[in-house]
Amino acid sequence: MKNPYRTLGIGLAIGGGALVPIFYFFINSVPLTAVGLSSIILGFTSIALGNSRPYISPEAANIILKTGMENTSALLEEIGLNTKAIYVPSSNRDGKPQAIIPLIPEDAPLLTKGKINGRLIVRFGDSPDAMGIAVTTPGSINLNQLPAKLGNTPEDIEAAIMYVLVGLLDLAQSVRVHVSPSQVDVEIKGTRLSYEDIWYYRCLGSPVASIAATITCEALGKPVRIAKETVTGKTALISLEVVS
Amino acid sequence: MRVFNRYLVILAVVSAVINVTLAIFKQNDLSVYFMLNIIAYLVITLLHVYFTPKARSALNGVTVVLFSGFLVIIAVKVFEILSK
Repeated sequence: MKNPYRTLGIGLAIGGGALVPIFYFFINSVPLTAVGLSSIILGFTSIALGNSRPYISPEAANIILKTGMENTSALLEEIGLNTKAIYVPSSNRDGKPQAIIPLIPEDAPLLTKGKINGRLIVRFGDSPDAMGIAVTTPGSINLNQLPAKLGNTPEDIEAAIMYVLVGLLDLAQSVRVHVSPSQVDVEIKGTRLSYEDIWYYRCLGSPVASIAATITCEALGKPVRIAKETVTGKTALISLEVVS
Repeated sequence: MRVFNRYLVILAVVSAVINVTLAIFKQNDLSVYFMLNIIAYLVITLLHVYFTPKARSALNGVTVVLFSGFLVIIAVKVFEILSK
């Protein structure tokens, strides 16, 4: 069955279309005719949803995601980088938000360079140690799929993360955001990607946390870092630290 | 695709509830069933604001057709009242 939504929709629409005249003219039952009409409505809705399904199967998308993660992990492992990435907004990075993994761990890295050049190895501060590797994250790609301009209120951030994680990617069920001056807490319920203790996740966070961090940094216009990511069952609690 | 499944299940359940309730109250006007089903569809679709743009535009096509049917029924009813 290539597209179950289309198959279901055609079945419901044809079934409903055939039953409506039978129920109305022969059986003379209005409630049963209404059931037939509801079946037609559901059928066309299902066909419409079937036509909007992505061409790439979830399995293929999973393979592509895993390949990208393995390659980035191999690069980080080879260099021996284990520091937490700083997510920088598009205004700091040639129009595309990215994550910078500092080469030397610092408790409070200072991003004093206004605009960071678009290379792999970048300097993000005035200190000689302020060097890092800039990588693209899943959130960087998804950001331009948002229907409206990102606002900086907690509601706007919550709506944007919800749109990407629930509507576009179907990776979670609900999202809540709490913003304080130096920290943003994101609670994601019903997440489908669990946290794994692998090199990639230790540096960049899980894909879900990475998306939340990218959207938050873009909304606030400030760099952020995933300070903590706790997963309890299917609920992920992500604490994002706003970096000065 | 869980979000699509949930949307379809909600639509099916709400339609069933509307049809059964109206049948219990012995409603015998087909336009009432049709209009309530369309209203339920419009409300549920509107609440799923986070669908992808492609899904939204596909559903907008269905919405336009159903809303046209809704307007036709309203026009017929108004015409009936005015012609009395």
